[in-house]
Amino acid sequence: MNLRFIDWIWHVRGSLPLVHGQSSNDAFDRLDPLFRQTGTSHQLTNDTLTFAKKDQAAQDKMSVFDGGVLRIEKGAAGSVLRYDLISRALLFCFLAPFLFLVIAQFTTVIAKYDKPPHEAAKKHKPPAAMNPIDKALGAPAPDTSKKGDDDGGGKKGKKISATPAYFFAGIFTALYLVGRILEDRLIYFLFRKTLVGEPDAHWFLAMSKQS
Amino acid sequence: MAGVRVGKRMIGAQAPVTIGWENIPKVEGGPVKRFIFTWFQPTMLFALIAFWYYAPNSIAKASTALWIGIGFKSLLLGLEWVNPRFRSWQLTWKEAATDLFYVGLGYTLLRIVSHYIGGDVMVKGIQHYFQADKFAWFTGLPLLLQAFLIAFIFDFGQYWMHRGMHNWYPLWLPHSVHHYITQLNINKGAVGNPVELFLIGLGIGGFFDFLPRAALISGAVGLTIGTYQHINVRFNSPKWWRFLFNTTEHHSLHHSQDFEGSRSNFAGSFIFIDRMFGTCVDGEAELLGMEGGRRMSIREQMTYPFTEAWKALKGRTRPVMAPAEEENIA
Repeated sequence: MNLRFIDWIWHVRGSLPLVHGQSSNDAFDRLDPLFRQTGTSHQLTNDTLTFAKKDQAAQDKMSVFDGGVLRIEKGAAGSVLRYDLISRALLFCFLAPFLFLVIAQFTTVIAKYDKPPHEAAKKHKPPAAMNPIDKALGAPAPDTSKKGDDDGGGKKGKKISATPAYFFAGIFTALYLVGRILEDRLIYFLFRKTLVGEPDAHWFLAMSKQS
Repeated sequence: MAGVRVGKRMIGAQAPVTIGWENIPKVEGGPVKRFIFTWFQPTMLFALIAFWYYAPNSIAKASTALWIGIGFKSLLLGLEWVNPRFRSWQLTWKEAATDLFYVGLGYTLLRIVSHYIGGDVMVKGIQHYFQADKFAWFTGLPLLLQAFLIAFIFDFGQYWMHRGMHNWYPLWLPHSVHHYITQLNINKGAVGNPVELFLIGLGIGGFFDFLPRAALISGAVGLTIGTYQHINVRFNSPKWWRFLFNTTEHHSLHHSQDFEGSRSNFAGSFIFIDRMFGTCVDGEAELLGMEGGRRMSIREQMTYPFTEAWKALKGRTRPVMAPAEEENIA
């Protein structure tokens, strides 16, 4: 099976042109601090930098990536930095909706066997008397209808439901889409800023130029 | 590092911490911003209590509480962006995804487990064994007292469970995972090994019969006090608030890389329980976590208590060898 068709799920690839006249050595020197973070190892051979990360810090600007390759290619129009980065977090987030769908199915199955106690078996208690202080302060009287027991905030009649699992499947689908686009853009601008020294304020300008 | 003496203990000898309210930075900015971040916490607490106290029965439902919880936490996430306590705790996409995964587990798998073997089931078993009924007199108390007692009884139990986790190795193993978090954000309270999350959720509330409305008020108290344990927002909490309630300052100290600092502030919502038992330290920390702030992956968070327990067991059962034998093996 050719993984090239699906590896975009956890690979972030891109390229950006180097400043005219910028050498490979100068470019990698500028990028060097990004790979001198806790839990990061890297190796530079010729025009290729390979790195790997383990237990990377939460605030590491490349924390979402676990490894990758950065290569500088020389062409007629000038040098270009090409990168191919691997993110287990993106893969995990892509798979999470499936996990929650499985949990939803599992919940549905066991909910069938989770029958609430028979109505007759339930003890019929007299409605709770309201405390005079609450009466004086104007709090509504307790709901004594059966319906109130199902969703009244207490634990009576609480059933297991598959709805939260479906909800989180949806949340993670959205989260993956956001992450796949956001992290792609963030790393592009991080490399660009590091190589060219562009301030953050130019992000939107750069984005519009790209599109 | 010299550390600061608090009672008989030396806090901050291993990692930087700030001790004493007078040393903690205040909210910076104009009068409106300072006003908002001083009165936000009490306003939300009293507003939600009033809402649940007077809401008609058609609205006073668990589903309403769920949506209020989601809305309130979303608002707090917004505040994290507006007024962060520390830039070094800023929420990233990866951190948000990790936290939400645990929130998801809490609402799904853990809920199922608790449904079958949780605190309420255990209490029911005990009541059945002793042929005892719930303490029905509880429902006759004023609503606010019921709500406070529900929250207090749960927090009191949680205090001792939490303190036990920091003092007994078999309980520390599942809890230790939660202490590997390196920053505090709204959903960080959900991050931990599922065994610990199950244990910390156990309570004895099932012994009492209470009005559903009291449970909703109690939930609102937990939401508008307990949530601030894990939050990256700088507040000027009023004096009375930080005397009674747990704050992110207290809890950051509990998560600090300093060993003595981490053995303080065990309560969930009511820090006065810590004051009662002499474990409260007023202060804060920025550098959090274990092993110098090593961030644990989700995979390791799931397996760590078991692999460490296995290592500990192997260490105990390993036959003692003479030094000469050890040299030969090496």
